[in-house]
Amino acid sequence: MGRYAIRRLLQLVPVVLGTTFIINYMVWQLPGDPFAGRCGQRPCPDSYVTAMREQFGLDQPILVQYWNFLKNLFTGNLGTDFNGVSVATQLGDAWPITIRLALMAVLFEAIIGIGAGVLSGLKRGGFVDNVVTVATLILLSLPIFVTGYLLQWILGVQFGVIEPTVSDAAAVPELIVPALVLASLNMAFTARLTRTSIVENLRADYVRTAVAKGLSNRRVVGIHLLRNSLIPVLTFLGTEIGSLMSGAIITEGIFNIHGIGGLLWRAINGQDYTIVVPVATLLVLVYLLSNLLVDLLYGVLDPRIRYE
Amino acid sequence: MRVTKGAKIATGTALLALGVAACGGGGGSSSGGGDNPRAATGTVYIRGCEPQTGFVPGNINETCGGTINDFVYSRLVKYNSDTAAPELDQAESIETTDNKVWTIKLKPGLKWTDGTPVTAKNYVDAWNYTAYSPNAQLGSFWFGDIVGFDKVNTADPDGPDGPKEAPKPETDKLEGLEVVDDLTFKVTLTAPVAVFRTKLGYSTFSALPDAFFKDPKGFAQKPVTNGPFKFVQWDHNSQIIVEANPDYPGPEKPKVKKIVYKMYKDDNAAYADLVSNNLDFTELIPPSALAGDKWKTDLGDRAIDGQQGVIQTVTFPLYDKEFGGNADFRKAVSYAIDRKTITDKIFNKGRVPINGWVSPIVEGFKDGACGDLCTYDPAKAKEYLAKAKAEGYTPPAEFPIWSNADGTHKEWIEATVNSINQAFGADSGVKFVHKDMPTFAELRDTITQHKIKGAFRTGWQMDYPHIENFLNPLYKTGASSNDGLYSNKALDAKLHEADTATDPAQANALYQEAEAMLQQDMPAIPLWSYGLQAGTSKWVTGVKVTPFGVLDPLSIAIKEA
Repeated sequence: MGRYAIRRLLQLVPVVLGTTFIINYMVWQLPGDPFAGRCGQRPCPDSYVTAMREQFGLDQPILVQYWNFLKNLFTGNLGTDFNGVSVATQLGDAWPITIRLALMAVLFEAIIGIGAGVLSGLKRGGFVDNVVTVATLILLSLPIFVTGYLLQWILGVQFGVIEPTVSDAAAVPELIVPALVLASLNMAFTARLTRTSIVENLRADYVRTAVAKGLSNRRVVGIHLLRNSLIPVLTFLGTEIGSLMSGAIITEGIFNIHGIGGLLWRAINGQDYTIVVPVATLLVLVYLLSNLLVDLLYGVLDPRIRYE
Repeated sequence: MRVTKGAKIATGTALLALGVAACGGGGGSSSGGGDNPRAATGTVYIRGCEPQTGFVPGNINETCGGTINDFVYSRLVKYNSDTAAPELDQAESIETTDNKVWTIKLKPGLKWTDGTPVTAKNYVDAWNYTAYSPNAQLGSFWFGDIVGFDKVNTADPDGPDGPKEAPKPETDKLEGLEVVDDLTFKVTLTAPVAVFRTKLGYSTFSALPDAFFKDPKGFAQKPVTNGPFKFVQWDHNSQIIVEANPDYPGPEKPKVKKIVYKMYKDDNAAYADLVSNNLDFTELIPPSALAGDKWKTDLGDRAIDGQQGVIQTVTFPLYDKEFGGNADFRKAVSYAIDRKTITDKIFNKGRVPINGWVSPIVEGFKDGACGDLCTYDPAKAKEYLAKAKAEGYTPPAEFPIWSNADGTHKEWIEATVNSINQAFGADSGVKFVHKDMPTFAELRDTITQHKIKGAFRTGWQMDYPHIENFLNPLYKTGASSNDGLYSNKALDAKLHEADTATDPAQANALYQEAEAMLQQDMPAIPLWSYGLQAGTSKWVTGVKVTPFGVLDPLSIAIKEA
């Protein structure tokens, strides 16, 4: 297992290099000058454009730019963005909020999704199963922004139960509703995935054996059935962590949460590669690491899976 | 199958989570009751966005930073929030006999927030700094009228794309700026400029304290200023806080202690906060609330409906044979646009059709400069189209009107092209279509390189409230924002005559004549002027919005209990 983990970690190196190069290259290829649109209807003064290009190395060939980027990345010096604000500080401000929101959303997905899935799977065709099926159908058919605006309007504006937007501190209680909104769609996915898995495994030989052995119901479901049924769910949740870390542009926008999503959105609009590239690089890392974690967890859940 | 205990536990947790969610974050909104939560702290919250540059007035050209910039800096001249008329602010007098040599005297006793006095030297130093090209300030071109500008600001001989570098300027001091004494300085212009006094209210003409020159970078993040508010702190991407300046000498003092400029990524979020009284002011009511005048029902007497100095036009690339058209073709297009229906249906009357090339709220505005060319008349549109063809212009089968997809222009341009196509009829041989470029930067890039294939949307937001600002930069030969490369010698001469007129009333009359001359060629088609929709919370009162569409920081006051 240790060796497997190290091998996987080593594989990260070429993947990170490759993806960052592609990201750099693509940002470079974007049409339009990032500084041309900064002066509205007037053309920007030449001296300004030249100075900015020089400052950010845009006048260098792409390979030199990439080399500078790598050098800066490994020395931990991310520099400033086009607005002259430290990139590291901006990431440092935004990332904890995004992580908090993402973890809460995944938690909701796991607890509510798996809970509902197990319930409906165990009593297939029953009342609870039907309720869960209908509820997930509704959640799946509602786009996130509808759920978001609806909850904001009802809870925030009409009833005043919550503030319509989240404060700068973005404390955990404030993030509950946004996290639920963010989780809503995938909560339904998780529930359905769990349900299918449970229904399938209920007929498996090892469950019958366990019941025949006279094990308690709790042990049969909790240890034997659930552990095996969770593997596909875990795969799903693992990739979900990765995608949620990239920030939820829509949810963050609705509730005015100052996370990575909004930062990335603004940077992409302004073609500010000084933010886009480091964020994308970090996202690649998060994806790779969360996938590795999921793979390692398989071994814990299913004794048949062993890593050499 | 029986319900198992394991499952029961799982359900319990799920229900608990839902329960927590339902009451989570509660108790925050303080609606009802007579207490005004703002009264205790004297703080108001207004909608904001992250500035693109630091707070150096000569380097700011966008509204996110410009709004706060106007709160913290006073200039020689300010514009009246109601009438847009220029009034003396830091200047005690601005005198000239020939519109060429201007003597500016400052009021005595003015102070920066670090305690140092505001002197004539502060103004001269700041202007020199902004104009000097190696400093790469966005506002440098504003000083182009002053004697010696070409010696401090050198152009790159082959543009920023070329390999050559701009030569180093001979000097870093404008020859036309001269400090007479502590409070007086003299400005010499290369030619008479009638509107120079009005221009002085533009943010680039601010002064900078000595503290700036010691550490320009640090200053940009936390400036020392001379306005009604002083800068407290800037939390990037989240908020900017300014505080009333106790030394502010103006006759009207700030009525609140603190303004928090809260940044929102989404206008809808700001609006939701406004409706529930968590936010005290926004000047951006989202389209979803404007639809069917919903915002007026939501806000009641908290809604503010006004005008601002922004107009929308469609410009033709006159350098392009295929899409430039001829004068009669452009007139035909103008006749074919039903401005009233579009502003009614698409903008819910939030914009007003205009009958000229100038915003109705500025000094020198005269109604009807466009004649009947800007009124919807399908019969005349057809007639002029036939005339244009008879003169030898064959319009392309598909005629695009370009916009940028990152703005909200799709709807009105589609309505406009429909209006044109209907007026021209199916057998006209030309079909107008709406096309998008992905970003504003790309659109502007294509336009300024004169490579655009089709007409394009142009909007002009005034820099200062004067008719001149809508003519010189846009229609003079070789002007900075003359995107269609329009050139008309007679118009140039008329504009020059107006620029150099010494009597302001006469200058205005000449500008009006110049505006009317645009009728002949229709280089750009006037569409409508922007209305202003803003709203306040129930905690504040007296709120005024300037002709520039931003909050007048001196007007906002907290309601008493």
